[in-house]
Amino acid sequence: MTALLESLSNELAAAVESGGRAVVAIHARRRIPASGVHWRSGVIVATNHTITRDDNITVTLPDGTTASVSLAGRDPSTDLAVLKLAGQNLATANLRLDPSPSVGEFVIALGRPGPRLTASWGVVSSVAGAWRTWQGAEIDSLLRLDLSIYDGFSGGPLIDATGRVLGINTSGLARGTPVTIPVATVERTVGELLERGAIRRAYLGIGTQPVRVPPSLARRLELTNTLGLLIASVEPGGPADRDGVLLGDVLLELGGAEVSDPTDVLVQLGGDRVGRPIAARVIRGGQVKTLQVTPGERPESRAA
Amino acid sequence: MTAPTTTGLAQELAAAVDELRRVTVRVQANGAAASGAGVLWDPAGDDTRALVITNAHVATRAQATIRLSDGAVARARVVARDRKRDLAALELDLELEPHTPAGFAHVRDAAPLRVGELVIAVGHPGDMSGAAALGIVHTVGGDRAGGTPQWVRADLRLAPGFSGGPLADASGRLIGINTMMHGGLALAVPVTLVESWLRRAQAPAAS
Repeated sequence: MTALLESLSNELAAAVESGGRAVVAIHARRRIPASGVHWRSGVIVATNHTITRDDNITVTLPDGTTASVSLAGRDPSTDLAVLKLAGQNLATANLRLDPSPSVGEFVIALGRPGPRLTASWGVVSSVAGAWRTWQGAEIDSLLRLDLSIYDGFSGGPLIDATGRVLGINTSGLARGTPVTIPVATVERTVGELLERGAIRRAYLGIGTQPVRVPPSLARRLELTNTLGLLIASVEPGGPADRDGVLLGDVLLELGGAEVSDPTDVLVQLGGDRVGRPIAARVIRGGQVKTLQVTPGERPESRAA
Repeated sequence: MTAPTTTGLAQELAAAVDELRRVTVRVQANGAAASGAGVLWDPAGDDTRALVITNAHVATRAQATIRLSDGAVARARVVARDRKRDLAALELDLELEPHTPAGFAHVRDAAPLRVGELVIAVGHPGDMSGAAALGIVHTVGGDRAGGTPQWVRADLRLAPGFSGGPLADASGRLIGINTMMHGGLALAVPVTLVESWLRRAQAPAAS
């Protein structure tokens, strides 16, 4: 008797079939295509790193036909891109915002690296809180999977046992390790990309590294936090350079918050900070000094 | 807590693997260092002859030693081999009992595979006998539109020693002969290709 085993097998196949109706192939790079998800009517979500050109992008739909799409926007920091598809009657993804995935839950990664749908299965191996990509984007939760990701899976959905989408898979955010960008992050990014075509982030044009302030100096300056960030590079003509930040300054606080890790700086540099002065407390020449710096809008592929 | 579904699944899976083990043999080509797996196959449907289907890269010599799941050892000779398909058929010298416990593989009929359905592989990696692996169908369809698929592609880990053994569906029916790992995927020769190959290859062997 294999009744339960057969039911499980049928349900997995049904989940794949249901989820696969909204999965397309994206032709926007050399060699093998990547995957994308028909997220909302006429809106396809894909991964930025698999789209190496801005024009002449086509998609293969689940029925095997090819359609042209236009690039509505891309965000390297979340590795997401949004494409617009017109005049097609295509199923949209069934999104699962709640409940969040549980450790041990069965999941399936779908892809369409060509005309055929592909699937791999596994379980959620850990769920952790929000994290930041190296380019500063906040991802709502860190989903790690015990699951194999194959060529062309990037941009495809992670689905649950009923075919609902939990996020978009990419190998482009963590040095090739598969990561799932959760639905909430995708929703937010898609909204902004559709509105503005890009994600606005503030930046200062500095490179930093954590340092410990010598105890004697920390005592003399009455510092509560003995960790700071050494300004190890200043982009010539960048916002920090214009506002007088010098190489060798030790940044203690930014916007009133203590900083001891480079990501603490990114936290202060949301899109709404562009053009609004922010207080930077630094040690310079053995004295504490407060500077006013005005973040600019970050060009692509710059961190802080 | 009780977990009736999971417990039931575990029992059914164990039973399905047991069934598959009965039709899975170890194939040791005479003089070869490595061994592989094979599937007991009833060529006539009447238990008069017993074939073992395996990979050509497992049955590398004209003769092979076959170890059945119950430990019985038989000699077998290769009656057909196709390196391109990576298939070989061996005929057992052992006179199998009409209702031998070993039995023969049940072949899945023409029902098309679905992406995501469960697959079970049995083989003999390393020192282990009758090891099992569980996965799902990764993709279906030919390499070219409309073409016959050359492989069953599964999201499944096969170790050396699974070669030549059965890939079965959730009901324990044979869907392919495990052949290799490629690009992280398990590739198996579809059972329909095994059948058509046997029909062509067997004619001289039957004379």
